[in-house]
Amino acid sequence: MVKQPLMRRVIFSLLPILAFAILNFGWKVLLNVLVSNAVCFTTEWIFEKYKKKKPTESIFVTGTILGLILPPSIPLWVVVVAGFFGTFFAKEVFGGFGRNVFNPAMVGRAFVFVSFPSFMTANWNLGVFPNGWRFWLSPQLMSGATPLRAAKLEMPVMVQDYFKIFWGDIPGSAGETAKWLIIIAAVYLILTKTASFRIIISTLVGAFLTAGFFQIFGISSLGTIQNLISGGLLFAAVFMATDPVSAPRNESAKWLYGLLIGSLTIILRTFSAFVESAMFSVLIANMFAPLLDLLTQKKVVAK
Amino acid sequence: MNEKAGNVFRRTIFFENPVIIQILGICSTLAVTNKLLNTLIMCIGLTLTTALSSLSVSLMRKAIPRKVRMIVEVFVIAFYVIIFDLFLKAYLPEISVALGPYVGLIITNCIVMGRTEAYALANSPTISFLDGLGSGLGYSLILLIVATIREILGFGSLFGFRIFGENFVNWTIMVMPASAFFVLAVILWIFKAMMIKKR
Repeated sequence: MVKQPLMRRVIFSLLPILAFAILNFGWKVLLNVLVSNAVCFTTEWIFEKYKKKKPTESIFVTGTILGLILPPSIPLWVVVVAGFFGTFFAKEVFGGFGRNVFNPAMVGRAFVFVSFPSFMTANWNLGVFPNGWRFWLSPQLMSGATPLRAAKLEMPVMVQDYFKIFWGDIPGSAGETAKWLIIIAAVYLILTKTASFRIIISTLVGAFLTAGFFQIFGISSLGTIQNLISGGLLFAAVFMATDPVSAPRNESAKWLYGLLIGSLTIILRTFSAFVESAMFSVLIANMFAPLLDLLTQKKVVAK
Repeated sequence: MNEKAGNVFRRTIFFENPVIIQILGICSTLAVTNKLLNTLIMCIGLTLTTALSSLSVSLMRKAIPRKVRMIVEVFVIAFYVIIFDLFLKAYLPEISVALGPYVGLIITNCIVMGRTEAYALANSPTISFLDGLGSGLGYSLILLIVATIREILGFGSLFGFRIFGENFVNWTIMVMPASAFFVLAVILWIFKAMMIKKR
C-alpha cells in the first residue's frame, strides 16, 4: 500500500458525512460504501499486481465518494458495476494513480446513471435524521422526488425550506444532503492544504453568477441561493472538482476550471433533463483541464 | 506472389483483422451491433460484397486503366451493395428498416475499398476472392462478439430470445452506440495480448 497522507485527509473529512448519511438513511449506506470500497480496491489491486506495483490509498477516496454519491436504495450489484467500471475504465486503463483524465468515482456514477436510470432517479428514501440508526433503510418517498426534481416538476412545496436543505434531512444521494458538514469538511481540507481553495471558491462563484443571471432574467424557476445549496453541487465542488489528478495544474487554470464546473452545473440543471448535473459538468471540465493548463501556461523565454 | 489459401485466411481473420488490427469499419461496428440478428445480416452483406467485388475487380484488373481504377472499384462495389439492399428490402423488410442506411453505407466501408485497392488489383481472381471472404469473416467475427455482449446486457436476449428471467435489468447504455467503444476496446486489448503471445 502506497501511503498518501493527502488522500487520507480526504477520507477523514468524508467520515462525518458518512456518519450523517447513516443516521439519515439507515445502515444500508454503510454497506454501499463498504462494497464500493471493496470493489474499487480489488480492481486496483489486481491491476497493480499485474504491473508489479502497489495499490494507492487514493482508491479508498474513490470508493468512499462513490458510495456516498449513489442513492441509498441502490441495489448492491449496481454499486459493484459502478465501482468496477469507474476504477477500470477511468483509472487503470490510463495507467493507474496520477494518470487518469477523468475522476473515477464520477465515471462510475455516470455509467450506472445512464445504464440504470430507474435505480438512479426513481427511488429516493426519506431523510429521517437522527433516527436512521434504527433502520436498515429509511422508508421510501412516495412521490419519488428530491428537492431538485420537485422544482423541475414544479412542486415548490418541498423546496421552500432552505434550512431543511442546508441541514440535510431530505431525500437525496447518500452523502450530498448535509450541506453544513460538507462546508466544515471543505474548511478542514483547505486549512490542511489538501484541496485547492481556488477550485472550490471559483466553482461556487461560477454557479452563483450563472444562477443569479438566470434568476434576474427569469429563466430558472430556482432561486440563486436554492440553486447553490441544492443537489450535488457543493459535494462535487469540494470533493470531486478538487481531485488533484484530474484538475488542472496551473493556479490560474484552476480558477477557470472551477468557473466552468459551476456555470455548467447550473446551465445543465436548468436546461437538460438531468437534474443531477454536477456529475456531468465535472466530467466535461475534466476533459478541458489539460487545455486550460495550456491556455494559462506562462511563456518561457529562452535566453 | 500468390500465397496459400490457408495463409490468406489466417492473415485476414487474425493477424491483419480489418477491425482490430487495421481499425477499419469502425462506424458500422458502433452502429449495427446492438442486436445480434441485425449484425449477422450486416456481416453477411459485407462479407459477400467484399468477396465478390474483390473477385470482379481482380478479373478486370488488366482491363482497368490506372487513372480511373477507384471509380471502377466503387462502381463494382455499389453494384453488389445495391443488389444486397434490394434483396433485404424485398425479403427481410424489418431488418432492412432496422439497419437503416448502413447497408447502403457498405459502399463506403473502408474494408471493401481497401481489399479491392490493395489486394485484388495485384492478385489472381481466386486468391482475391478468398482474401475478400477472409476479410469479411474477420470483420464478422469481431462484430458478432461485440453484438453478443451488447445484446445480452442491453436486452437480456440472444437473437431476440430472452435468456434471463424477468428480474434482469436492461443496461440502457449497452443499447446506445457509445457502449461499443468500451466493448470494442476490451476485445481489441484481449486480441492484441493474444497476438503478442503467439508471435
